[in-house]
Amino acid sequence: MNKLFNRNKMLIILFGIIILILFIGFSMTDRESTTKAEQFTGDTVAASQSIIGAPVQFVSNIFSNFTGLFGASNENEALKTQLEMVPQMYSDIERLEAENEKLRDALEVSSKREYDTINSRVISRSQDQWLNNFTIDKGENDGIQEGMAVMTPEGLAGMVKRVNGNSSFVEMITTNVSQNNLSVEIQHADEAVYGAIDHYDSERGLLVIDNIKNNAKVEAGDEVFTSGLVGDFPEGLIVGEVMEVENDEHGLSQNAYIQLASDPSEIDVVFVLERDPESMGD
Amino acid sequence: MRIIVIFITSLLLMYGDFLFAEFSPFEISGLTVYTVPKLLLMYILLLSIYVNPSISSFIAIVFGILIDVYSGLVYGVHTFGMVAFVFFMHTAFRVFYKDFVAMAFVVLSLTFLYDAYIYIIYGILGLVNMPVFDYLALRSVPSLIVNALLFVLVFVLTLKSSKVRKNFLSKH
Repeated sequence: MNKLFNRNKMLIILFGIIILILFIGFSMTDRESTTKAEQFTGDTVAASQSIIGAPVQFVSNIFSNFTGLFGASNENEALKTQLEMVPQMYSDIERLEAENEKLRDALEVSSKREYDTINSRVISRSQDQWLNNFTIDKGENDGIQEGMAVMTPEGLAGMVKRVNGNSSFVEMITTNVSQNNLSVEIQHADEAVYGAIDHYDSERGLLVIDNIKNNAKVEAGDEVFTSGLVGDFPEGLIVGEVMEVENDEHGLSQNAYIQLASDPSEIDVVFVLERDPESMGD
Repeated sequence: MRIIVIFITSLLLMYGDFLFAEFSPFEISGLTVYTVPKLLLMYILLLSIYVNPSISSFIAIVFGILIDVYSGLVYGVHTFGMVAFVFFMHTAFRVFYKDFVAMAFVVLSLTFLYDAYIYIIYGILGLVNMPVFDYLALRSVPSLIVNALLFVLVFVLTLKSSKVRKNFLSKH
């Protein structure tokens, strides 16, 4: 009897492991859409979390407002100075945009840089604190779709992995690059060097671009942008800055180490970017 | 009645875990230190002793799925992990002498092992490449200390929720 019980237990454990492997396989595949069951579960948890989290948010806002009072007048002065330049910048941008539009029309190309933004707030972070993934308070009903780029005011942060009705799950770029290489361009002086981010070095906290040709000039301090060549990401989003360049172990190519512009642990407000569909023909 | 109280307590503890992620990790003299509380896991493990293993397994499955679908990148890790750890708790408690210290030791060891289990799975899938020493010094041990402090709270909650049914029946 005892033996039979043990055998049953063994079978249950084996069955469990097989199911776990199947689930892992299912979640690691690139899916184009989120199932209704996932959307329902995600939305229910997000909604109840917003209700439970509201008092905590309220208290933490009071604290942050209070601490923000210190040094507010100095900050105000500095911001006012910056603000005086804004009208001039706006008019410059409008003039350049109009000029750009005319030139594009003349060349009959659609811009990979054009996108609309959807503002959103982070409502929760991954509770196991491993991958810095987070959930935002906008979903399908607000026009968000899987694969869209997610930015912070500083730079690219991640991409939308799953979309529910009123919330979405965002995968950080540091996790995502280990599965899908992100195509980027490094701006060195006026030249663009193209490459793909291979992985995230968590020990150093830097993204790694490998296989850069030896004759390509890349230096620390160069800015890195998305290239818009692969995937749904628009062109020209700030990814970060080159911190270090070194030859690979065989000396055949160079590796560049990039500091991410956005800080993964300090993300509160994000923008989801909707790329102009005309520029995604291929 | 009791199952409702257990469910609501579990829900609140799950959000407690989520809330902690807002404050952690933090920097101490240039080092990033993670403190990962396991309020829900400790509650589920204690339920398997103070209530019964079936209810504990049921809560483990329901909340495992919720966590996986809501905030998990890899499905099944939490669901499978929580159920397996309830099973370990049940087995361990047949071996250990049943007193508070032994129970606290087993529960805290299991929270320690649970995080290690997720570390290993993510490591195998290539999602995490934190060196083992860093993991132990900057994540595992600080989390263990935080969990040891929070254990008292969870223990009181478990005792309260295990008594709900008795109170309910005595009134009628």
